Amino acid sequence: MMVGAFYNPHLGAELAAASNIDHLAMADPPAAGDRHWPAIKQRYTLLLHDYLGQLSEPLDDRAIERARSLAGLYDSPWVAEHFQCLHTEDGTYNLNYVFPPLYTEEFLARFVTNANALKARLDQPLVMENIPGFFDVHASQMPEPVWLRRFFDATGTGFLLDLPHVWLEAHYRGVTPQAWLAEFPLEHVVEVHVAGVEQDRDLEGPWIAPTAPSDAMLGFMAHALTRCPGAKAVTFDAFSPSLTTDVLFSSVDRIRAAL
Amino acid sequence: MNDRALQDDVIRALADAPYRASAEWRERELADAARVERFARFLARHFYHERIVHFFKYSRALARVTARWPEAVLRQPGFDALLSTAVLGERATARAVARLVIAYVAGEEVPYHGDLLRYQEAMMVVEAGPRVWRDTSRGDDRATVAPPPPELVEGTELLELEYDLPSVLPQLLQPWTTLPDAPRRKTSLIVARSRHGRVAVARASDAIASVVRFADGARTVDDLARAAGLRPGEIAATLRDLTEIGAVRFSTGS
Repeated sequence: MMVGAFYNPHLGAELAAASNIDHLAMADPPAAGDRHWPAIKQRYTLLLHDYLGQLSEPLDDRAIERARSLAGLYDSPWVAEHFQCLHTEDGTYNLNYVFPPLYTEEFLARFVTNANALKARLDQPLVMENIPGFFDVHASQMPEPVWLRRFFDATGTGFLLDLPHVWLEAHYRGVTPQAWLAEFPLEHVVEVHVAGVEQDRDLEGPWIAPTAPSDAMLGFMAHALTRCPGAKAVTFDAFSPSLTTDVLFSSVDRIRAAL
Repeated sequence: MNDRALQDDVIRALADAPYRASAEWRERELADAARVERFARFLARHFYHERIVHFFKYSRALARVTARWPEAVLRQPGFDALLSTAVLGERATARAVARLVIAYVAGEEVPYHGDLLRYQEAMMVVEAGPRVWRDTSRGDDRATVAPPPPELVEGTELLELEYDLPSVLPQLLQPWTTLPDAPRRKTSLIVARSRHGRVAVARASDAIASVVRFADGARTVDDLARAAGLRPGEIAATLRDLTEIGAVRFSTGS
């Protein structure tokens, strides 16, 4: 099992010299002036985890070419995208933050068609990450885990299981994380994300934060991995200029110890 | 209404505070109103945090002198008051947020900070507005007999500054102990955005400034060349450069 983190450019020097990290996920392309990039590229397995586009619509040629180019640059073993629909079709409104689609037959058909089209143009497998909802939209026609299972069965793509996302949804639904997780199609999981959560003033509850995962979250990870037979990697999911070296390295160490 | 349109309605409610408060949205009862409101406020703070940190990065670099960090406004009453009228990505909201930042970080410590704040505000405001997320047309490559009249793209800004900011901007982002100096020299900059949302800045000569002022979609290329005092080859190159950064487009008429 690979254990890694996100590439945070402000920690480039420390990451280039680190020995306890197997892989780095890339949320942004390397900056032109990033002097640590050559060492990072040489040292690590790199996972493409950029914004490629929302699969409620087909990706255009420009977006697909960008995905292919980045995957080639990183020599990424798989390419990740999110189950998200965060801007309106006409481009007028944009949330600039991952936001899930309605869990309906129409959206399922859209995501299946567009993921299959993207998959056919990539040289690497496609994996898709679950996105938490803070509220239910009454127009949804099925629970998220059912929708995901039907998506993975129809596309053969891999599942990037974000555990804090599952944990938060369970929290806001008033169920245990273990019970909510049991509904998900875990046999498709390729990669697992782990992160910390903190109280948010606006949400009046917990949300993902660039902080260390709690012992409870690490216990949840250990529990989840016993049910994900195909998982190849666990990634500490923190990408923020406020992330410190100490939090990043100690989190990776604690994840490794909890496996 | 199909599901895609329904999703757009939810996205709009999260992004557009006046719409979220409207009877039109509330009567649809698509989601728990209190939770939608809380999530919308969370999104707004995140949305403008990213933009303030990015566009006001030079004022952030100057915080070691001013001790005022631009993103601090996100936790101040002024921003909270704005949340009930904010429309994420709208130009008016971008300007209102930028003005909060300017009011907070402005001071006498740095001689060129006033120009710098206007520059950063322009970047943030120009970036706002609807954008093209994906190309659906293949373009029209047919040759035209004569070029149509060029027009300034809405939102493009021409900045007239007292200091030559471009000469100092890179230094501000490098490690420094003595405040980098900016030459006091009148400088014109054009700030524009591509249809895909990329913001670009270019120095504007008198001729470029003239083209920008007069490109109204009615004056022909020849009119603009005369107004700017440019020869045919020069006006063609100028318009090509302005088109590339998204400042000018060619009107196709009706």
